[in-house]
Amino acid sequence: MVDRSRTENLRMEALDPATPSSSLSSYSYSKAVNTDFRSPSSTASPLPPSVSRLWRPAAQRNLRNQWSKLAALRQQWNSAASSGRSHATSLVNAYLSEKYMPSMELGVLSDMSDIRNKASWKLFKQQELHRSKVLSSYKDLVYVVTQMVRLSKSMRCYLKASSSTPLVQFSGCSEDMNDPGDGGGIPVFAFRSISCFEKLAEELVQMFIFELNLKRLLVLELLSLRCESSMVKRFNWSDELYAGEYDDLSVCNLYSGGASEPVKPRLLVSKSDVPTARRTQKLNHETMQVYLTTWLVEVNIDSDRVEEIFSEIREEMHVNIS
Amino acid sequence: MESMIKKFQQRFKKVQREMERWEELQSRLLSQFRNASAIIQRLQVLKDIKNYGSLNCVDGIGDEVLMRQMASLQKILILMNKTLEEFHSITLSLGKIHRDARQMVEGGSNQLCVKKLQLRIGVKPTLADCLDGLMLLHEMHQSEYHLKTSLVSALSVLTLKPNPGDLSALQQLLVDQPNIPIEEVQNIFNIIFAEEIS
Repeated sequence: MVDRSRTENLRMEALDPATPSSSLSSYSYSKAVNTDFRSPSSTASPLPPSVSRLWRPAAQRNLRNQWSKLAALRQQWNSAASSGRSHATSLVNAYLSEKYMPSMELGVLSDMSDIRNKASWKLFKQQELHRSKVLSSYKDLVYVVTQMVRLSKSMRCYLKASSSTPLVQFSGCSEDMNDPGDGGGIPVFAFRSISCFEKLAEELVQMFIFELNLKRLLVLELLSLRCESSMVKRFNWSDELYAGEYDDLSVCNLYSGGASEPVKPRLLVSKSDVPTARRTQKLNHETMQVYLTTWLVEVNIDSDRVEEIFSEIREEMHVNIS
Repeated sequence: MESMIKKFQQRFKKVQREMERWEELQSRLLSQFRNASAIIQRLQVLKDIKNYGSLNCVDGIGDEVLMRQMASLQKILILMNKTLEEFHSITLSLGKIHRDARQMVEGGSNQLCVKKLQLRIGVKPTLADCLDGLMLLHEMHQSEYHLKTSLVSALSVLTLKPNPGDLSALQQLLVDQPNIPIEEVQNIFNIIFAEEIS
């Protein structure tokens, strides 16, 4: 049990769920959005006043719906990310135990024949299990982000052109090229136009898209963990991690058709677009620790800003979405 | 005389409630401490870009991860100080309970002589037992509060030059609460509530 302490060093402590974060950019962001309440097209409303009066409640209903779904998705993200982290930690611990098994001091047990092999085999099987769990958490994260993207594009409310009924109806999809679905840029609730809501949603979803991409890299690394003896496939960035992954990533704009592989991960705050080459190094204990920490801290998600966006929305709509 | 002892016993019940709150705070402080020390131990690893493996292909990742962890640590330290303030309020309240009790005995018309203070009725505690007990409990918690305060400031000093041995020593002190010996505390309560036990 000599290496036990080494292994346990890696165990991550549960942090406060609201992982503190800081981003200098958050203030400038909110200012930019606040000063631009109305969309540029607010001058001419294509809807006649009578229709416009009916448009507002329909648009309000739609926005309330989409934003409360966004809030729920964000919770889903949190729980998927946190179970992913605990599976990843178990995987790393089993991997390190297997790695150190040959040098482990077994005391009286060393008399038992084949004990080391049996233990290694068991640890290997454990890793297999944790690998599949990490992958399934990743799938959950992808699902959450694709839904967020879909929602962030469904903020508009279009006039439904129907000749069969004299009633004015609205829908989520555009039927008339001349109808932008934003009610001519009028405020939907108190101040903000549809395009303001869209901007906030986009800012929000962008963070999760970037973080998903970074987590993909971590998942790839974790799934490729193997001891010299075992036959675990080493994944490349261009490998599809599960069937249909690329379709999902395309929805999030994370698949580059030109390169036929997912977009390379980068930081939301980073200015440079050019990724440095991926260096494959010997994976050691410290690197595992860095991977797990990186999974935990979600560098691309500024949780203060996320909170701020939701509370701005709550204030505007006068409803509680959490 | 007996009614006075009853009043004292009520005060001890109040002390017990405060001590239960102390225990809650203790476990809160411990988990905050563990989180903080986990981060502190990671910091050195996070500072070395060599440890980032394949993450190195993400420009600026090291600085960002490190910055986030520092921010988390900062938040935890602030929370720890808040917890300390609550510990402090408990010591103040224990002090007040003791002071009030002393005034009840010493003050006013019912000035009691030493003899009366040490008068024992059956298994009931003497008034002196009660006063001493309250004073001891207050002093224990007060010294423990001072110890905790210095442990927390030692922790923030360690952020700059961490040393796993020091961290675990600090944590052990925090767990042990050397100024509040359990047996002694139990002993005090046994004397005060002797009739309830027998």
